Order: sequence, then C-alpha cells, then structure tokens
Amino acid sequence: MTSAALLACATLVMGSLLYVFWPDRNVEAQNAKTRLEYLRERQEALYDNLRDLNFEYNSGKYPEEDYAAQRATLENEAAEVLAEIDLLEAGILGNHSAAAQHS
Amino acid sequence: MGRVSRFALLPLLAVLCVITLGTADTQARFNDLGHKLMCMCGCNQILLECNHLGCPDAAKESQELQAAIGKGQSDTAIMEAFQAEYGPTVLAAPWLSRFNIVAWVVPPALLLLGLFGTFFLVRKWRLRAASMPDVPDDPASRDMRERIRRETQI
Amino acid sequence: MPAFGSFALVVALALSAWNLLAGGVALRQLATGSRGAFAPERLAETARRAGMASFFAITCAAFALVWAAFTNDFRLIYIAEHSNRALPWAYKFAALWSGQEGSLLLWAWLLAGYGLVLRMRHKVDVKLTAYASTILAGIQVFFLLLVNVAATPFSLVPGGVIPADGNGLNPLLQYPEMVIHPPMLYLGYVGFSVPFAFALGALMMRYPGEKWIHITRRWTMVTWLFLTVGIFLGMHWAYNVLGWGGYWGWDPVENASLMPWLTGTAFLHSVMMQEKRGMMKSWNVWLIFSTFMLSILGTLLTRSGLVSSVHAFAQSSIGTWFWVFLVIVFAVCLFTYILNRDHLKTEHKLESLVSRESSFAFNNLVLLLACFTILWGTLFPILSEFVQGNKVTVSAPFYNRVAVPVGVFLLFLTGIGPLLAWRSTSMRSVRKNFIVPGIVALVIAIAVIPLGVHPWTIFTTDHEGAFYAWVTFALAAFVATAIFAEFFRGARVIQRHSGQNLLRSVVQLTRRNTRRYGGYIVHFGVVLIFIGISGQAFNRSVEATMNYKQSMNIGPYRIECMDYSQDTNANYDSTYAILNVFRGGHRVTQLDPAIRFYQASQQPETMVANHSTPLWDLYVVYAGTDTTTGQPIIKAFLNPLVMWIWIGLIVTIFGTGVALLPNLSAALAAQRSRVAVTAEHEPVAAGRTGD
Repeated sequence: MTSAALLACATLVMGSLLYVFWPDRNVEAQNAKTRLEYLRERQEALYDNLRDLNFEYNSGKYPEEDYAAQRATLENEAAEVLAEIDLLEAGILGNHSAAAQHS
Repeated sequence: MGRVSRFALLPLLAVLCVITLGTADTQARFNDLGHKLMCMCGCNQILLECNHLGCPDAAKESQELQAAIGKGQSDTAIMEAFQAEYGPTVLAAPWLSRFNIVAWVVPPALLLLGLFGTFFLVRKWRLRAASMPDVPDDPASRDMRERIRRETQI
Repeated sequence: MPAFGSFALVVALALSAWNLLAGGVALRQLATGSRGAFAPERLAETARRAGMASFFAITCAAFALVWAAFTNDFRLIYIAEHSNRALPWAYKFAALWSGQEGSLLLWAWLLAGYGLVLRMRHKVDVKLTAYASTILAGIQVFFLLLVNVAATPFSLVPGGVIPADGNGLNPLLQYPEMVIHPPMLYLGYVGFSVPFAFALGALMMRYPGEKWIHITRRWTMVTWLFLTVGIFLGMHWAYNVLGWGGYWGWDPVENASLMPWLTGTAFLHSVMMQEKRGMMKSWNVWLIFSTFMLSILGTLLTRSGLVSSVHAFAQSSIGTWFWVFLVIVFAVCLFTYILNRDHLKTEHKLESLVSRESSFAFNNLVLLLACFTILWGTLFPILSEFVQGNKVTVSAPFYNRVAVPVGVFLLFLTGIGPLLAWRSTSMRSVRKNFIVPGIVALVIAIAVIPLGVHPWTIFTTDHEGAFYAWVTFALAAFVATAIFAEFFRGARVIQRHSGQNLLRSVVQLTRRNTRRYGGYIVHFGVVLIFIGISGQAFNRSVEATMNYKQSMNIGPYRIECMDYSQDTNANYDSTYAILNVFRGGHRVTQLDPAIRFYQASQQPETMVANHSTPLWDLYVVYAGTDTTTGQPIIKAFLNPLVMWIWIGLIVTIFGTGVALLPNLSAALAAQRSRVAVTAEHEPVAAGRTGD
C-alpha cells in the first residue's frame, strides 16, 4: 500500500468518525404523532374524497341519489372528525390526546 | 408514400399471412414446429430464433426437422423423435402429459379461483355496507355540513 | 487505489452496521422508555449520520473501481475480465456494472444513495424515517457483506502476474442502451427498498394513519418509472442487438424483472385505496413485502444458476447468501405482521361490486396472477426435476398461451377502472359511461377485420395470435376512448367554472389532480404498448443467400444486395452487406447489417439494420456467410407496429412525470381551508355553546 493510499484511508476513517460522533446539541426529537395531527390527516383525506365526489358528480358520472347518499356518508364522517378537532383545538381534551391516540 | 396507402397495404400483408398459415405447406409446418422446439446448444433460445453465430446445434436440428417434414411424418411423431434424441427439454413448452399437465392447469385454475374469491369477497363487503345514512338535522350539524361543503367546493 | 477501494468498502460496512445497531437500540429504548449511557435521540442521530456517511464511503469504492477501469489496472481480476485497453471510455465506465462484483457494488451504492436522500429529508417524520433508515441499513449491511466477503470487486490477480490486456467487455453489452439499462433496472429494484422500509417501519411502530403512503408515494412512482424504463431499454436492446427479430423471449432474467414490476404496479394502485379509504391495509403491506422479496428472488434466480438463462455471464455461487437473506427478510416481515396485524384493520367496506374500489381489487388480482404465472413458469423446470426427475423447458409457447390472455384481461380492466366512480356506482351510470367507448370498440373491432385481422383463425389453426390481436385492438379503442372521455368530461366542468377554452381546461384539470390524470396518460401509454405488442401476431421473415445485384422480397419491399465486404479496427473486425431497399420502384433506404468479431473477447456479434416506420419495421440481420461461395446470408423480418411500443414508453414516462408534479389545487385548497378554519372557528364554537 502506498503512502497516498494510506493517507486516503486514514482521512476516510477520521472524516467518518468525526461526522458521525461530532456532538450536536440540536438533535431532532422523535415526537409521536398527536391525535390532532392524526385527525387533520383524516380530515384532509375526507375532504379530498368529497372534492373528488363533487367533481365526478359535476362531470356527470353519478346519478343524483348515489351522489346524495355518498356525500352524506362522507359528510357525517368529516363532521365527527371536525368536531373532535374543534374540541381539541379549544383545549378541552388537550392533554388526553396521547391516551386517545390508538382508540 | 402517404400513410393512407401504407395502411391500405396492411390487408395484403395479413391476407398473405393467413394464407400461408392456413395451407400448412412444408415451409409453414417447418416454421410452426421450429417455434415449438428449443436450440439445444445452451443458448436457451427457440430453435428458429437461435441466431448466435457458429451455433453447433441449431443448423443440425433444423436439417433434421426439415428432413422429418419431408418424409411426411406427423407433428406428434416428429416431436417425439426429437424428445427421444435430445431429451424433454427440447420442447419449448411441456406437453400435456403426466405431471406436466400441472404446469398448464395451475395458472388458469388460480385465475378462476381468484376471480370467484374476489367476487364473493366483494359481495360480502357489499352486503355489510349501509345505504343512505341518517343525516342529523340539528343546527350545529347543519352549520358543520355547510362548513364542510364550503371547504370542499371544486 | 485497489487497497483504498477495498478499505472504503470495509468502512462502509462498519458505518452501515453502526446505523443498524445504534439505530435499532435507540428505537428500542425510545419504544420501551429505557435509557442507556447515551440519550436515545443522540444515539439515533449518530445512526442516521453513519447511514449518510456510508454513502460517501461506497462512493469512494465505486470511484476506485471506475478509476481502475480507466487506468487499465489489470492487477484487478474484475478489470482484467471486464475491460481492455481498446475499449471506448463510455464502456469502461459501464465496466462498473458489467460483472457480478461491480453490479453488487452498484446496488449497494444506489441503496446508499436512496438512503442518503431519505435520511436527509428525515424532518418529514423523524420517528418514521428513523425506523425506515434502520431497516434500509439492514439491507445495506447484507449487500456490503457480499462485496466485502463473497464477491469482492477489488481482488487482485493471483500470483501477481499482471496480464498485458484485459478480456474486454462482453460485445453484447457494447451498446449505448446497455450503458444505461442495468443502472435503470437496479434503480428500480433497489428503489422498492424504500417503500418496503417505510411500510415495515410503519407496521413496527404501529404508525397511526396513512401518511406514510403519502411520504413514499413519489418514491414508489419514481422507482416504478426506473424499473419500467429499465425493462423497456432491455427490450429495445434485445431487439436491436440480439438480432433474433423479437424483443421479449420469456427468459428467466426478463421474467425476474417483470415480476416485481407487476406486484409494484399492483401496489401503486391498491395503495390509493388505503390512502383514500383506509382499506386493504394488510394486502398492501404484503404487496410491498412481496415486491421487495421478488426483486431479491430475481437476483437469486439469475445469479445462482438455479435456472438456465441467456444472461449466463451473471452466474456464480452467491446464491446461498441470497437464500439466507430472503429467509431472514421473510421471517422479519412475517413476525412483524403477526405481532401488529391488529393495527391493520380496515376502516371502510367496499360498497358495490361495480365501484372503482372493486375494480381495483380485480386489477390487483390479475396483476398478481400474472406475476404468479411467470413465477410458476420460471420455477416449473425445477419443480419438474424434483417431481418427475427430468427438467423441462417452459418458454415462449407456454407464456403466449397462459400469460397473454391475462394481459388482455388487464387491458380490459385498465379501460373500465376509470369509468367507475369511487364508492358505489349504479348500473344506470355504468351504462351511461360505457356506451360511447363500447360503440367505438365495436366499430374498431369490425373495421380491423377487412384490414386482415381475422380472429376466427383461432378455430381454424392452432395460432391464437390474430384473435388476441383483434381483441387487443378493440379493447385499445375502448380504453383510449374512455380515457379521452374522462379528460373531456373533467375539462367541461373546469370550463363551466372558469370559462377557459377546452385545451386550457384540460391542462388545468390535469394540474388539479396530477396523480389521476398523469395515471390516465400512463394508461394511454400502456394502450399504445399493447397495440405495438399485438403486431407480433403478424410478423414475417425470409432468409436468403445474396450475391451482387440479387434481391429478395418481403411485404411491399424489395431488398437488393449492393455489396458485401470486410473491415477492421482496433476493437473488432466486421463483415457487412450493403443493401438497397425499394418499395414500388422507389429507393427507400440503405441498410447495412453486419457481424462484428471482437478482438479482446474473441466473440462474434451481429449488428442489426432496422428501417422503422409507424406501420412496421423492416429488420435485417446478417445471419452468416455461405461457406462455399462467401456470399452473405441475409435474414429479413417484417415486424408490424413495433414502433408503437417505444412511443408508448415515451407516453408512459411523460404520464409518470405528470403524476409526480404537485397538485395545483392541493396548495390552493390548503390555503383556503386555513383561511376558512380561522374564519370559521368562532361561529362554529359559538354555535355549539348555543346548542
């Protein structure tokens, strides 16, 4: 092994060790997802479904009664989610979110 | 040459194609059987598609096939003779005999099974599903619904 | 340089092992709440950094290997076997992946590259990314073990006798497509590790909600695109280089690339049902598990010599490693699934047999069945040897009979899927949406009969090609009409709202929901590909020995031999014929098919000459030289519609590109809902208290 190769190997090892173990104060915390975040995702999914439904209805792919039934189902579901979001945001349930997360 | 006239030539091509296939003359039979046999040199190609230069087997096999057809042997007899000479791997697809039948039966059987399975699964889901849900009619729900509709306008 | 290369690989292995171990310990501590000497967050951060640093270390190793190729360092066995002095520089670069050791190094490097991007973007979800990163590190450890122990690219020539020149690159691989085909395919194979790692990680940590799908959506699509492009480049290469007149030979290696593609395609579709409806969660998890395992199995099949293949240059004894790895992966997947399967409960139920959800279920079934059929055909020779004591061949005739109908059925589903709306669709609306495409399909089905597509030959001969081609043409018309109708209907809605012209409305429609409409464009590309493939049923060929001024006829063309000769350069000798092609008395083009004989590898290789038009390819091969007369033997093929396969691929790439763009409306909608939330918060709350 030539001295140049030795130097390159040593640099690689030193560089890697320094990069990996250099003390860093600002480590990202691994926060668990809150109930509120979870609900917001659900809300967005339901809203997307509703927008889709409206659009498809407008483009003439749905008969009236199908549309009404499905919109009602999705709206009921969205209403539940929204109600819980509102409650959480109002801070009433605030600290219980973690406990309720997996329900 | 315009595209229209090119397309007009397509029937000519296809008619020729069908005629040559339909009459089952020597050349067509050779072509047919040659696509049902493998080149045995290890190149893993269909006999008539083997094109690697200096292949030790393709030319010999082709000549044997040509000779057998010339003698007026039946397709089955030719295939059997090839199988006897080169072993069962000379056939490009296994015959419907003994265990080999499994090779052909399993995929379509699974398709049917899968189709029935999916069909019944979906039916089961459908029977469980509800139709028009109850729509609560208190003012809070109405507000909520209005809000949802406003936010999901297209 | 070789010493530095192998040292860099050791460093990379150490870094990846640290990533796996420290990452695993940190996640365990965070999950159980226990603490070690280090804070778990701190430990997890070192793991993440080790993962990123491993990319740098593998890059050093890859650089060392390429450097060795460029400096003709024949001390390395690998370079001596896969390169030579006269090799053009682009192919020297390709030496990195032209042999097994280099391929595995490339694989590890790409994996680390994907990992680098993933670890850098960890803020999308720190915890989930930590899980995915640790799982990826596990895969990386396996590949780095391979290149460090079992298939070392930096091994030196034994005895120190350095050869004067290398054996050169396999001439079959000295072709531009071959420079990019393997990396593309590997990017596809390796890329599926990312959604796999996310899916497994999400299941391990019992990740609430479906956001992980959102995070991996682009990864999956990009990976799928790479795999698609890789497969098609392979087809294009087979067609233009191997010179047997076709592009797909149902070779085990080809099958190996198609299997993960099929399950990956199924995953891309069914994952939408989970994202939108929270359905089919277990199914999706197993789909992505299978896709990943199939890409490993593909490597196992082709590298272990378990099945015989045209790709003979890839055989070796590393099969055992892959077996062990595959078993470990399967065990981890199964264990995680059994432990957490209650987390995958479905939230919604399918509502109707004809809703789009159920069409997705059927689509998944068919894709999976196609995958199984190919796996079955590929493995049947082994099964046969085991059961009846002799190997059999399962080649093109088998797949043409068994897999083609499945493909046609898939095309049918491609057509009906978009016509069905989400949730239940009543029969009335189905009829309404089906009428126009149905009529168009019927018209085309009748119109192609006088053009020579005779479906009834399936009854009169044992050729089913024409029948399937006929069905394909009709279905292609159905699907294409359905897609256009979908764009048209949507654009009309936009037009009503915005008053823009139809074309601008189509653009806006696409930008509002890029994934759906990009997907439709991909479907259209698939339709074109199917049309191109169905042309195969009408292929023809002639072969003749040609003297000067002699000619032969194929279809409307007359091919006349102008000259034949030989030529020599440093890399190869070539023997070629110069042919003039006439049609209706006019000279159309000149074709120069040739055979090259490569000096370094002492291998011959055909050079195809192809005159490609939208209607057909005139494809001419120099099949050999007549030993008595020295005249060239020319084989000419007339292959209808092949060009549409490549056009279809370009459309598919474009469609995937569109699907990767962010939605226009998503940004707007988010903005709107934020405004709405702040504005609406008070009244709604007030309404509730007033209740």
